[in-house]
Amino acid sequence: MYIIVIGGGKVGYYLTKTLLAEGHEVLVIEKDARKCETIAEELGSIVLRGDGCEVRTLAEAGCNRADMLIAVTGHDEDNLVACQVGKHKFQVPRTVARVNNPKNANIFEILGVETTISSTDLILAHIEHELPTHPLIHLLTLKGIGLEIVELKIPADSAVVGRRIRDIPLPSDSVLALIISKSKGAQVPGGDTVLAVGDEVIAVTKPENEPALRVAFTHT
Amino acid sequence: MAGEILVPTKGGKASDDAVTLACTLARSRKSKIRIIHVIEVERTLPLDAELEPELRRGEEVLSRAERIGRENNCPVETELLQAREVGPAIVDEASERGVDLIIMGIDYKRRFGEFELGKTVPYVLKHAPCQVWLCREAAG
Repeated sequence: MYIIVIGGGKVGYYLTKTLLAEGHEVLVIEKDARKCETIAEELGSIVLRGDGCEVRTLAEAGCNRADMLIAVTGHDEDNLVACQVGKHKFQVPRTVARVNNPKNANIFEILGVETTISSTDLILAHIEHELPTHPLIHLLTLKGIGLEIVELKIPADSAVVGRRIRDIPLPSDSVLALIISKSKGAQVPGGDTVLAVGDEVIAVTKPENEPALRVAFTHT
Repeated sequence: MAGEILVPTKGGKASDDAVTLACTLARSRKSKIRIIHVIEVERTLPLDAELEPELRRGEEVLSRAERIGRENNCPVETELLQAREVGPAIVDEASERGVDLIIMGIDYKRRFGEFELGKTVPYVLKHAPCQVWLCREAAG
């Protein structure tokens, strides 16, 4: 796969190094001459000095045959423009952008950037997962079909403790996929499965049904 | 002293002189000679793209170098390479094969009145792991 990485900072450097090790053809576009020199010395002639937002630079980089463009500079506006030019001018099949300000993620998605990665959101997600303060944790967003996979932990004071799943009113378009309990381990839930304190419920739902799902399982 | 001499060639008088010098040296040192011609492939194309005119020219350049080797009673090994940049390709080849010496022919070029080496020669001088000899053609 031919991958163009815009931005030769720390993220771009280690990303490129990993992608090269995986056997991909990679080119880094970087404005700073000193960074270009460092990358060339460390990783070989896989760096092009220039502005990754400019059509001319992307044309020189062979963007027309790129399978993926990944913009990871420290500036959201540069990442957005690079992805937009790659997508609309060169028809790059897949664009990935680093989003420094999580508030911009939505704008990127509206403007057609398929994948956005926000380090702030990633850290927050880890905090949610590691600290038991959040009853509902996002595990995965299935963008193409507008669904999310979430995890719910049944608190001690929940009204669903001791109840069968068939008796719990679930919001529409919500499916319970898996129950993980300390005593029985992972099990596919049936209508007669009884929930206990501390059970982890893996559910598939629509984003708009998330609050109702949280209430259904955590309400006292 | 055995070993291998690498001669990157792009054709022309300076490259011919470099091959001749390599042959003279190889006979006395009992070294092998490896002659390469590097085709630079633009990034708009995959590295293994078939560039017919460049391939044909490269083969002509290498045939000429082989003929010089025969005339000097010195067998040479030739290879046509494709790379994004010539300098790194020469250095990589020298490193991978562990050659003892690179001999390069360079033209006497001036740009805006100043003598210029281009970008390949300085790169090789800076990065090559072995000795590098330059064989510059006569000025003017």
